[in-house]
Amino acid sequence: MVGAMEIYKLLPTDACKECGYSSCMALAVALLNREKKLEDCPALLNPKYADKFKKLKELLAPLEKASETGLIIHPEKCFGCGNCVVACPVNVAAEPTRCGIGLGPQGDRVILAVEDGVVKCMNVKECRRFGPNKVMCNACTVTCPSKAIEFV
Amino acid sequence: MAVCTGCSLLCEDIELTLKTGAISQVKNLCRKGHGHFQALFTERIVPKIDGQEVSVDQAITKAVDILRNAKHPLLYGWSNSALEAQRVGIDLGKKLGATIDDTSSFCQGILMELVLTGKLPTCTLDDVRNFADTSVFWGADPSNSHPRLLSRFAYYPRGSKRQKSYEEERNCLVVDVRKSATAKLCSNYFRVPPGGDADFIASVIDVLDGKIPKYGDKKRMIDLGTILRKTEYGVIFPGVGLVYALQDKIELLKTLVAKLNEITTFKVVPMVEHYNMRGFNQLLLDDSGSINRVSFHSGQVTHGPENSIMAAAKICDAALVIGSDPLSSLPFGTAKSLAGVSLIAIDPRRSLTTDAAQVVIPSAMYGLEAGGSAIRMDGVRIEFEPIVKSDLLSDEQILARIKEEI
Amino acid sequence: MQVVVTVVTFRDIFQNEAEKKSRYSEDYRKLSAQITLDKQDMAGLGVKDGQNVLVKNDVGSVVVAVKASEDDSHPGLAFMVNSPWSNQLVRDDVCETNIPGFKGISAQVSPSGESVTQISELFQRMKAQGA
Ligand code: SF4
Repeated sequence: MVGAMEIYKLLPTDACKECGYSSCMALAVALLNREKKLEDCPALLNPKYADKFKKLKELLAPLEKASETGLIIHPEKCFGCGNCVVACPVNVAAEPTRCGIGLGPQGDRVILAVEDGVVKCMNVKECRRFGPNKVMCNACTVTCPSKAIEFV
Repeated sequence: MAVCTGCSLLCEDIELTLKTGAISQVKNLCRKGHGHFQALFTERIVPKIDGQEVSVDQAITKAVDILRNAKHPLLYGWSNSALEAQRVGIDLGKKLGATIDDTSSFCQGILMELVLTGKLPTCTLDDVRNFADTSVFWGADPSNSHPRLLSRFAYYPRGSKRQKSYEEERNCLVVDVRKSATAKLCSNYFRVPPGGDADFIASVIDVLDGKIPKYGDKKRMIDLGTILRKTEYGVIFPGVGLVYALQDKIELLKTLVAKLNEITTFKVVPMVEHYNMRGFNQLLLDDSGSINRVSFHSGQVTHGPENSIMAAAKICDAALVIGSDPLSSLPFGTAKSLAGVSLIAIDPRRSLTTDAAQVVIPSAMYGLEAGGSAIRMDGVRIEFEPIVKSDLLSDEQILARIKEEI
Repeated sequence: MQVVVTVVTFRDIFQNEAEKKSRYSEDYRKLSAQITLDKQDMAGLGVKDGQNVLVKNDVGSVVVAVKASEDDSHPGLAFMVNSPWSNQLVRDDVCETNIPGFKGISAQVSPSGESVTQISELFQRMKAQGA
């Protein structure tokens, strides 16, 4: 996954502060958290940085696919094993007699479910990583055999 | 609700919407199972004799003809057929005086025999979910072969005695030559060199006896001994990797399991690949006293390696292959022997075996187009209904007709 | 250039999925006709990821593509997914238990300019010699 350092290396690194942050590193972190856009760095729009701008665009592209909790699913890597479906505490709380004991969910209150052989994500607002009181839960990523689920 | 016959977990919680010519929005099927369901629409075959399309009746008559005239007929496959078809198949074998063998002969057979004859303690997967605190995958990579085993039973679900599950209460150990997908997930991974499993077992027995292990990293082996000793209810899932490594030394596994059971409870559940291999092994055992490699030649029941598919392929003059593609899955030498005999293939789909067969009889896909029952990898019987309408005959119906006409 | 390796076969869910869809597909061939080699062995052979190699022993031979291993170093050990390609190399006349040696196949690997063996070719070999 992309790191702030990787982003930082491609920024102009002249600390012009025009983006509103005191350092380019701070902007890099903001970009990673999707709080700022590349266009918020005026220096980067200078044609001499065109190359870097393009590289940054590519680097940040996957983040745009991420849900509001930063969850990214790569369906092409997914085994459809359902480990995340069964491990997710929200799923277990929503369907203790299904997800709790290893079965696929029946209702629509869960976050993760396997459909057509791959995992799908819904109700992201229920995820424990969502909102101001978020918890750094990682039950779905640590149980994935193929890194098909990631958080940015 | 449908049952998936994609592997020997026979998952029963499959929900799907059917549209003509497509299955969409299938819930809970893993990637492997999804491929299995999509197989309904690809590489389907028509009845053939010597490459020419014929009617099913003609194909069956030709098959009868070949089998009746054969001196040493071989009946092979079976692990992808329902129990009802296997039953008819064994009776057909007796009627013909044929040699009968299944896919267990080149994979889990020697282990399955120990389990089915009570020489290794075993349990159901529901017991694993409810009670097990240590699961050992040995020469097996369920994430790839039985994708939902960890989520449904062995590691991640909550069970009656294991409410805190993988977070606090369960260990998952992997012993393998390669760092498989499952090895990356487990709590402890032990790498063994190819064929090093016997030494590894000896070392585990050493640490359980309080001795210094001769083989492997001493500290890690002692840690392993501690995990095993602390286990309340352990389950070993041996895969083909372990069976191939041990072969005629399979007794070593028995010794290890006996040792573990002096200390605590340990069970063995073989990682059966095809959805009803265990069913065939059980039926044949009840009937003939052996789980595979049986000959009914001249009314005598004999059992032994000379009746294995590898040996029988070389001496048979006709072979009926059902629900299996030995030309793809068996070693080249066996495949080429089979390609040279009068071959009858009963299969829902095209394969190297149907391509080489003199007679091809298409069959309905069990679980999708035909109902029946099968024995899950842990011995639990699962019934299934067809989910789509089909005019194709089931394996059971085809075999019954062959048997009748002979 | 040549290295001697022990080939261990394994299962792969993606290859299995491709097989269930069609044994004759390009996908199935790509995911099957492949050998995972250690980086050290690759350097010894002067081959890169994706290049073709000839894998042979006294049972048979196949041309397959190289895949660079992501596992910890394991020179001399190679992996092939279970398929008609790996089965070209498996002996069927082993010990008393009569279980073929799918998990410890000794073979020589060398760079190859030929294209990957097609399934039709494997089939022809079985038919030709079976007759
Ligand atoms: S784990 Fe096996 S039985 Fe269950 S859905 Fe996957 S292939 Fe089908």
